[in-house]
Amino acid sequence: MSVSAADTSADTQVPAVEVAGLEKRYGTVEALRGIDLTIRQGERFALLGPNGAGKTTLFSILATLRSPSGGSARVLGHDVVRERDAVRRSMGIVFQEPAIERKLTGRDNLLLMGLFYGLAPGEARRRAAELLASLGLDDAADRATEKLSGGQRRKLELARALVTNPRILFLDEATLGLDVDARRSFWSHVGTLAAAGRTVFFTTHYMEEAEVADRIALISSGRIIALDTPRALKARLGGGVISLQTDDDVRAREWLAGRGFTPEPGGPELRLVHLDPASILPELLKNLPVTVQRVEVHAPSLEDVFLKLTGRGLAAGGGGA
Amino acid sequence: MIRGIYAIMVLDLKRVWIDRVRIITGLAQPLLYLFVLGAGLGGNVRSGGADFQRFIFPGVVGLSLLFSAVFAAIIIVFDRQVGFFKAVLVSPLPRAAIAYGKIASGAAQALIQGVILLPFAPLVGVHFGFASFFEMLGAMVLGAVAFSAMGVAAASRFTSTTVFPIISNALLLPMFFMAGALYPLRNAPHWMQVASHFDPVAYAVDLMRGSVLGVYFFPPWLSVAVQVVLVAGLGWMSLGVFNRGEDDSILGETQIKWRR
Repeated sequence: MSVSAADTSADTQVPAVEVAGLEKRYGTVEALRGIDLTIRQGERFALLGPNGAGKTTLFSILATLRSPSGGSARVLGHDVVRERDAVRRSMGIVFQEPAIERKLTGRDNLLLMGLFYGLAPGEARRRAAELLASLGLDDAADRATEKLSGGQRRKLELARALVTNPRILFLDEATLGLDVDARRSFWSHVGTLAAAGRTVFFTTHYMEEAEVADRIALISSGRIIALDTPRALKARLGGGVISLQTDDDVRAREWLAGRGFTPEPGGPELRLVHLDPASILPELLKNLPVTVQRVEVHAPSLEDVFLKLTGRGLAAGGGGA
Repeated sequence: MIRGIYAIMVLDLKRVWIDRVRIITGLAQPLLYLFVLGAGLGGNVRSGGADFQRFIFPGVVGLSLLFSAVFAAIIIVFDRQVGFFKAVLVSPLPRAAIAYGKIASGAAQALIQGVILLPFAPLVGVHFGFASFFEMLGAMVLGAVAFSAMGVAAASRFTSTTVFPIISNALLLPMFFMAGALYPLRNAPHWMQVASHFDPVAYAVDLMRGSVLGVYFFPPWLSVAVQVVLVAGLGWMSLGVFNRGEDDSILGETQIKWRR
């Protein structure tokens, strides 16, 4: 089966990704302003950030699609510029946009990918059959891919990335636009792959997907502003979060600020991070000079962390990469 | 390397097979030239109807090769932006295999279009002998490879899907008309005779015509040499293009946004 441990003969001490002082400029735009990052082999690593933060740029450089303007990046010990082909041989990549031939069947797509990676035709055919079976795509294998569902197509993209049994997988917004079930199914396959010792480096807009990562890097304006496990990131906020919806959020915000509280900037509702929300809530509700329509106390989520650190939500922000 | 070229060809020919109706519709234009334009004009020129159609037959085959080879190359421009080809570009496949594979597959696609015209030959009075048939076929292969190399060298230079067809049309038609495909270059104005020496299509058509009529405008060795040199030169050029430009083209859209 395809998910057997990826090439364990190689040195497992070499970091999967090693980035130092990485910079990228597009003309006068500084997309990356000095990124330092080390990812162990076998790690599931999520890269989060608002649009335009440099996510896609960092991803593209690691996946040998773009070259850095400064600094260095190595994947499994290979320099992404000088040893591009070595990096390419050891990685599998799922793009945000489809990269399968719509008119061909899934089986043909995988077969061809095998040929492109230098497998002999017989070997490529075997590998295709193996991958289709392991991803539960047997039924869809011999239909033109344009006739498949979104979830099946995405799984096929994953299968395509796995043709060469890569030691590191790059997933760029791989589940964008899929429904919850299809997303869950996709990630359960990725989980199996990671459990077999593969490194998975991914970007996502969905917070619950980032939760499965071993570590998360938050990137904003071309810099990494936080890098930790999901739990540690949430613990940074400490205590809990009070979310308020009132008939006049602006006035409520002013009032809170006047009482020495610091409501989080931005977001669709009023959020207040506090060490012990339960103790201050009754007083707040009694004294707030506005009508409270809804109140909620919860443990901090990644979204809260994100808001706190960047001052804006993940979905917010302009276009660009 | 060989395996890579093979893989590119398998990919493209599978796609052609799926769109095989297009091969039939691709017959329309050359047959129109041959049987409508050929019959109409033929009735009005000195050489006489049947003779004229016989004369333009190799030219029409050349037309078919030229347009289908260049059309096959246009696909590269689309492919670079979306789809499977993007995954191919991030594979460790040697760039040379991509370039040569694309030239070979374009030539194969053009040959398919050209060869299906051959059964119509007897209808316009072209009868092949054993030797002349293989002479014709050889000339077609050479022409197809040369036209495909032209297409690939040009297509790999463009990232815009709108500009390339316009430019290629602006070049293709003049090349076709100046090639003497539809009239003998011998009686053409002096300037056109001079210009045709710079037109690769003219050499390809002349070589094919020679195998049909036994009369050449250019010495056959020159036609072969010109096309071989052309293929070598353009093949080398397309190599460089697939090597460079990944930075810009793969994620082309985003890049353009930044530049604007």
